Amino acid sequence: MLIFIVRRIIQGLGILWGLITLLFLIFYVLDSPVNYMVGENADEKIVKNIVEKYGLDRPLLTQYADYLHRLSPVRKEKEKWVFDSPDLGVSYQNDKPVGELIGEHWFGSAVLALFSLLFASFFGISMGIIAGLYKDRFPDRLIVSLSVLGISAPSFFVAVLLIAIFSVALNSLTHLNATGYLMETGVYSGESRIVWKNLFLPVIALGVRPLAVFVQLTRASLSEVMQTDYIRTARAKGLSPLRVLIVHALRNALNPVITSVTGWLASLLAGAFFVEFIFNWKGIGKLAIEALQKHDFPVILGCTLMVGIVFVGVSILTDVLYKISDPRVTV
Amino acid sequence: MLNIKDLHIRFKTDDGIIPAVKGVNLFLEKGKTLGIVGESGSGKSVTSLAIMQLLAPNAEISEGEISFNGQNLLELPESGIRKIRGKTIAMIFQEPMTSLNPVFTCGFQVAEILKLHEGMSSPEAKAKTLSLFEQVELPDPERIFDAYPHEISGGQKQRVMIAMAISCNPEILIADEPTTALDVTVQKEILHLLQKIQQKTRMGMIFISHDLGVIAEIADEVCVMYRGEVVENGAVKQVFLSPRHPYTQGLIACRPQMHRRVKYLPTVEEFLSETRLHPETENQTTDEAFLARQKSLMKAGVLLSVKSLKTWFPLRSGWFGTQKEYVKAVDSVSFDIYKGETLGLVGESGCGKTTLGRSILRLTEPTGGEIIYNGTDLRTIPARALRQMRKEIQLIFQDPYSSLNPKMKIGQAIMEPLKVHNLHNHDKERKDKTYEWLEKVGLKPEHFHRYPHEFSGGQRQRICIARALALTPSFVICDESVSALDVSVQAQILNLLRQLQEEMGLTLLFISHDLSVIKHISDRVMVMQKGKIVETEYSEHLYKNPGTDYTRQLLAAVPEGIKTDDLHR
Repeated sequence: MLIFIVRRIIQGLGILWGLITLLFLIFYVLDSPVNYMVGENADEKIVKNIVEKYGLDRPLLTQYADYLHRLSPVRKEKEKWVFDSPDLGVSYQNDKPVGELIGEHWFGSAVLALFSLLFASFFGISMGIIAGLYKDRFPDRLIVSLSVLGISAPSFFVAVLLIAIFSVALNSLTHLNATGYLMETGVYSGESRIVWKNLFLPVIALGVRPLAVFVQLTRASLSEVMQTDYIRTARAKGLSPLRVLIVHALRNALNPVITSVTGWLASLLAGAFFVEFIFNWKGIGKLAIEALQKHDFPVILGCTLMVGIVFVGVSILTDVLYKISDPRVTV
Repeated sequence: MLNIKDLHIRFKTDDGIIPAVKGVNLFLEKGKTLGIVGESGSGKSVTSLAIMQLLAPNAEISEGEISFNGQNLLELPESGIRKIRGKTIAMIFQEPMTSLNPVFTCGFQVAEILKLHEGMSSPEAKAKTLSLFEQVELPDPERIFDAYPHEISGGQKQRVMIAMAISCNPEILIADEPTTALDVTVQKEILHLLQKIQQKTRMGMIFISHDLGVIAEIADEVCVMYRGEVVENGAVKQVFLSPRHPYTQGLIACRPQMHRRVKYLPTVEEFLSETRLHPETENQTTDEAFLARQKSLMKAGVLLSVKSLKTWFPLRSGWFGTQKEYVKAVDSVSFDIYKGETLGLVGESGCGKTTLGRSILRLTEPTGGEIIYNGTDLRTIPARALRQMRKEIQLIFQDPYSSLNPKMKIGQAIMEPLKVHNLHNHDKERKDKTYEWLEKVGLKPEHFHRYPHEFSGGQRQRICIARALALTPSFVICDESVSALDVSVQAQILNLLRQLQEEMGLTLLFISHDLSVIKHISDRVMVMQKGKIVETEYSEHLYKNPGTDYTRQLLAAVPEGIKTDDLHR
């Protein structure tokens, strides 16, 4: 088990290395970073200063080595070896350190992703169970048709639709804002407070698709498990239908769903770009989109690295969870 | 104690209502064993599930009565029948591999039922479970208690199932094909165990099987089911020695038997229609005929010579791809097959017999050794030449359900290999050939445009045979080709293979776990154990004078039941 985890971490580091190399190729090799920083019609003198400041006239390999060295958690700083979070540099836009920017934004993304996942898992799995138990009857047909809708609707479309319905058309009933973050600073008091209701619409917009996927997975898996020999054995023991379902069937049926849930955690943490942007939600996704628009390379790099680390970390976690829940899996 | 009267069960399907059980009457006395014998679809499992009311949702009991100690089980509410399930009537199933829940330990699954019905606390249930494990003769009960089902063998799993079933001292134990999925030696142990438990607890037992030998060994009374009806019942001896119904007569006769030697097996159809295709006088094979055949085979020469063939699977690989351990599935196996011969390969599950068959065809790449076919070493020829060679060597698989592409019409399935190997000039000729083969294997030309799901298991195996033999190969490997089939169908397929072998001069390598089938079809028999060939002998000799202990064990474990020689007039 320990060997497995170590091996997966090494693999993960390899993936991250590939990721940052790819970014280097895009931003340093295909085009000069100077263009991103000052635009194309810049003063020659400014360009020269920038080239000197960032050492952009050095050979690409040297630049690459320097780039890797700065991103490595173990590096030499002021003649001393230190272990520190990667040195991501400062934002081109406002000279804020990228680390600080990410620090300000990750919480919003994490809250949004976790709540979306909770929402999607709870409703997805319970609806999936109902559909699985009533397979090919009315409740199943209804749930399945809805979930097909949920899978096919893109999140930005759902987001806009939700705003149009709940925050515009039904505003007198719901009092929901079209956009807004979890924290708001009071206009008069100047104190920041938590505004839970702002969480509603983004969570639903982000959670609809995983919810629909969980419905389908749970349904398929449960209806298959209910026909297995060991469920027949459990019934032949005289167990109550509820115990057969909860103890014997769900432990088996939910295995593939758990894998999917943890897999989605990674994509939700990483992929809330549109939803965050539309709801003006202060998160990594919004940060990254704005950085992309402004060609702010250090911020893009930071966001990408952050997403990559989350992805790799969560996928290792998934395998470990899977191993615990299903004793047959050998890792 | 248990009395089933005029039971009717039907299934509602998309194709309408299908009756599965039509007016069955059964009676079980305390301490006795009632054997139910029949082929797939005869309604025997459905009947037993009906007693426990565990039928599939689309099944409906339309008529009848199942009374247990004077109480009609069919009138009980769900909560009432749950008190009976597992407590007074317990059941064990055919597939020990899938009948235990894979995510719970064996101990948990047995203790669960004790807590439910006997109201035991966890430590009490554990103590009782351990003593039950001892009673069913499981080695190291403490370890099995904490083991997950996938960590123990099939026979051990079935013992856990038995422990679970007898945990609350049931009055009736229903055993639905409990030994079918197990090796013969394990089967023998399990049957013995069940008898022992029954003697001690005096429980009544319903034992369902398709295997007459097993039924004869364990049952007191037997009832024969055919197409949802009981066609014959009575004491075991009486039914086996003087069967009255032609179906029972056919069923008993069509099973290849170790002490009898015939060329073609009688089939159930012959008994039902009372026409004999192969009169007894022509069907006998004598020792002289056997010797003459062996001599001519020797003269014909060796077709395939396998020399110290090894197929090892890496078990674990080190950090740098270095192999540390191997499973030696086939370990230095050498043998010759003569032209026109049938060589039987017999062994228990996991002995490597299937891997050996696949290795010869290089469907599984061997690790070492030589496979010399007609002078060329199949191991060293290039992939292209090997593909051409596949025309010469064909394989017929065990499972006719999964070895046909469900989306392909069977005519096309037979034509495809002809096309691949560029046989015959154009599609028209290939089509004619396919029609010809459909007829040869006992199907009709109009079946050409049908899909596999429209056929029964036996018909599908005929299609597989046609597909393999249409290429006119000279060597065919039959890997458990009749194991998934009912005995009556098995007899038809064995007859078909024998007839085609004679017509085409085929050489067969016949792989099976079933010693009676192997004995019937083979000239010589190889016995395989743990990747090695332990004995090769003419089949008659082998069965009369087994040379190794292992062969002796295997032979002793075959349930022979009641000798039926005198049946054969």
